[in-house]
Amino acid sequence: MKKIIILIALTFSSGLLFSQNLPNINLKGLDGKTVNIKKISKSKNIKIFAFWATWCVPCINELDAISEVYEDWQDETNVELIAISTDDSRTKKRIRPLVNGKDWSYDILLDDNQDLKRALNITVLPHLLIVKNGKILYRKTSYIPGSEDEIYEIIQKYTN
Amino acid sequence: MKKLLIFMISIQIGLILNAQVLENLTIGLESNTVWYNDDGETGPFFDTSNNDGDKHLRSNNYLKIDYNFLQNFTASVQIESYEPFALLNYSKSYEGTNLGTYSLNYRDSKLNITAGHFYSQFGSGLILRNWEDRQLGINNALQGGKIVYEPADFISLTALYGKQRVGFKTSEGEVFGFNSELDAAALLDFRDSSLDIGLSYVGRKEDTPFVNPTFDELTNLFSGRVDFYQNNFYSNAEYILKGEDAIKQGGQLSNRFITGGNAILFNTGYSKSGLGIDATFRRLENMSFFSERNAAGNVFNESSINYIPGLTKQHDYLLTNIFVYQAQSIVNLDTSQSGEIGGQLDLFYKIKKETLIGGKYGTKIALNASYWSGLKGDYIQDNPDAGTLPSYDVDLFAFGNKYFSDFSIEIRKKWTPNWRSIFYFVNQSYNKKIVEGSGQMITSNIGVIESTHKLGNRKSVRFEIQKLNSDSKKHDWTGGTIEYNLNSKFSIYVNDIYNNGSDSDTEKTHFFNIGGSYTKGATRLGLNYGRQRAGLLCVGGVCRFVAEATGLTANLSMSF
Repeated sequence: MKKIIILIALTFSSGLLFSQNLPNINLKGLDGKTVNIKKISKSKNIKIFAFWATWCVPCINELDAISEVYEDWQDETNVELIAISTDDSRTKKRIRPLVNGKDWSYDILLDDNQDLKRALNITVLPHLLIVKNGKILYRKTSYIPGSEDEIYEIIQKYTN
Repeated sequence: MKKLLIFMISIQIGLILNAQVLENLTIGLESNTVWYNDDGETGPFFDTSNNDGDKHLRSNNYLKIDYNFLQNFTASVQIESYEPFALLNYSKSYEGTNLGTYSLNYRDSKLNITAGHFYSQFGSGLILRNWEDRQLGINNALQGGKIVYEPADFISLTALYGKQRVGFKTSEGEVFGFNSELDAAALLDFRDSSLDIGLSYVGRKEDTPFVNPTFDELTNLFSGRVDFYQNNFYSNAEYILKGEDAIKQGGQLSNRFITGGNAILFNTGYSKSGLGIDATFRRLENMSFFSERNAAGNVFNESSINYIPGLTKQHDYLLTNIFVYQAQSIVNLDTSQSGEIGGQLDLFYKIKKETLIGGKYGTKIALNASYWSGLKGDYIQDNPDAGTLPSYDVDLFAFGNKYFSDFSIEIRKKWTPNWRSIFYFVNQSYNKKIVEGSGQMITSNIGVIESTHKLGNRKSVRFEIQKLNSDSKKHDWTGGTIEYNLNSKFSIYVNDIYNNGSDSDTEKTHFFNIGGSYTKGATRLGLNYGRQRAGLLCVGGVCRFVAEATGLTANLSMSF
């Protein structure tokens, strides 16, 4: 058992040194248009993929908090946040009214049977990826008030 | 165990040999371990499903590895370990360490082919959905093959075949599925609207246990759907027809009770900046559908082919989750049940900044209402002496016994840059007899106030106070939470709920939890000690009953 733990730890620590590519998966947007994740990630501007769900309170708190400073972020870094909803068909209907009701200006993608979430091995929501030139530069899970500032520091670090 | 070791070593060697491999590798690890202790107040630890009171330490572990290669291929494996037994309340079919799922996928712009385990969903999932929820202990992936073919942008065709995963084994029954999705808006060149049409077939073939069966071993389901969206308005409708099949009554499959089923789902909404309205109607009649007929009604939701979530708001607080509705899809003549009918309404509104009520930062309001009842009609019991077969005859749009209703209002208010609050009120009626099998209707009012204060230097504190009053002497609950975030990595919390009512299962007992978490990047470690209330654990509208237990829990999750 110990050996396995050491091996797992080694595997993960060596994994830290490399940035990953994004999987070749198509998702639909709220407008019904299909988007390829690999394609949209190949941008020299930073993209944030924020995995959330309508029932996840910390996710909504995080997106609400970012929404208040989002204009400033965009002005300074051209960053774009794409909110990927993992809501299944039970709560999927709530996405459109919630997003509009909250007046979020993010692009929303629907991962309703969690294909992308599974492919990226995401287990805990909220989960955030910072992506540039097709590579994942940073991954982060969970939200506490104020951690959006830390995200912005990372975005600034990777801009340019 | 040895196999796992060899597997890990080979991965390790692979990683060292080729750094490029890492760019195309994603790994997820989740480990949930509990030490169950004897509780002076609620009794000693005992696991009724494994008949065990000795193995206090239980652990559920999941390691998933996905590797992309040669541009178009992805290989995926998930190893699961439940040692020495799974956590309490999980199905016994999850036992030991083994390969849970594996698959090989090829994908190009037109074709998407999977061999091995796959997860698929047709429409809303009312006809077919394969999914995994580790918290609920659900993994009903199909093991077989799936082909998705997209000859043009506007059309997608799926064919699949498989046997369903049940623990580390597969189901007796076989599942066949075909699905077609047509993007009519692209085909007709609509500019500002979208129109999707979907048609599906799902068949389940399972040997019948009877010498002279009065039904076919193949059960057929058909589904048709339309999804429309223009500007601020959207609407979708789905109809499912389930062919004749034997019904399970009194715990046994009946060769005398043969009937079909159907489902209607309708959803419409309007939304614009600062406003959203959504309404859903759903009627289910005999829609439970399993890869093994005898699995119908099993408490672990194993072998379910379709997805029938309770369409109610998923509440987030301890006391709002005491009476949770579970969708009713089974046929039970004893309780005059053959399905459910009802609906749900949502309203989201943002009161603008710098207005009288909106204040400096605006105020966000969310309203939700749902109502569910049984199907009204005649239910006729089996009576071989009188020559009557069991049957039911229900009206299309008539509401029968009330099963559940829920009204909630949520107000989110930011007072200052460092202080925000949530006010939450819920009124619920819960038919305990229908949802849990015994009891009566309980109506409750629940109030919650949540407040978060940023203290600077990334410290913050969050409070919740909760109160539940009901018309039953058994339930009078009070609850609270305090959470303190030391920085963006460490967080600690304590919560407690207490029933001052006379419910024999929960009265005068503190269901408390104390814990903390450490998060760094995509790694999260949580520790928790506390007492779990017996009741329904629901995720995504699907529920599982969990027994009372006290213990120390460690959760680790990592993604790379």
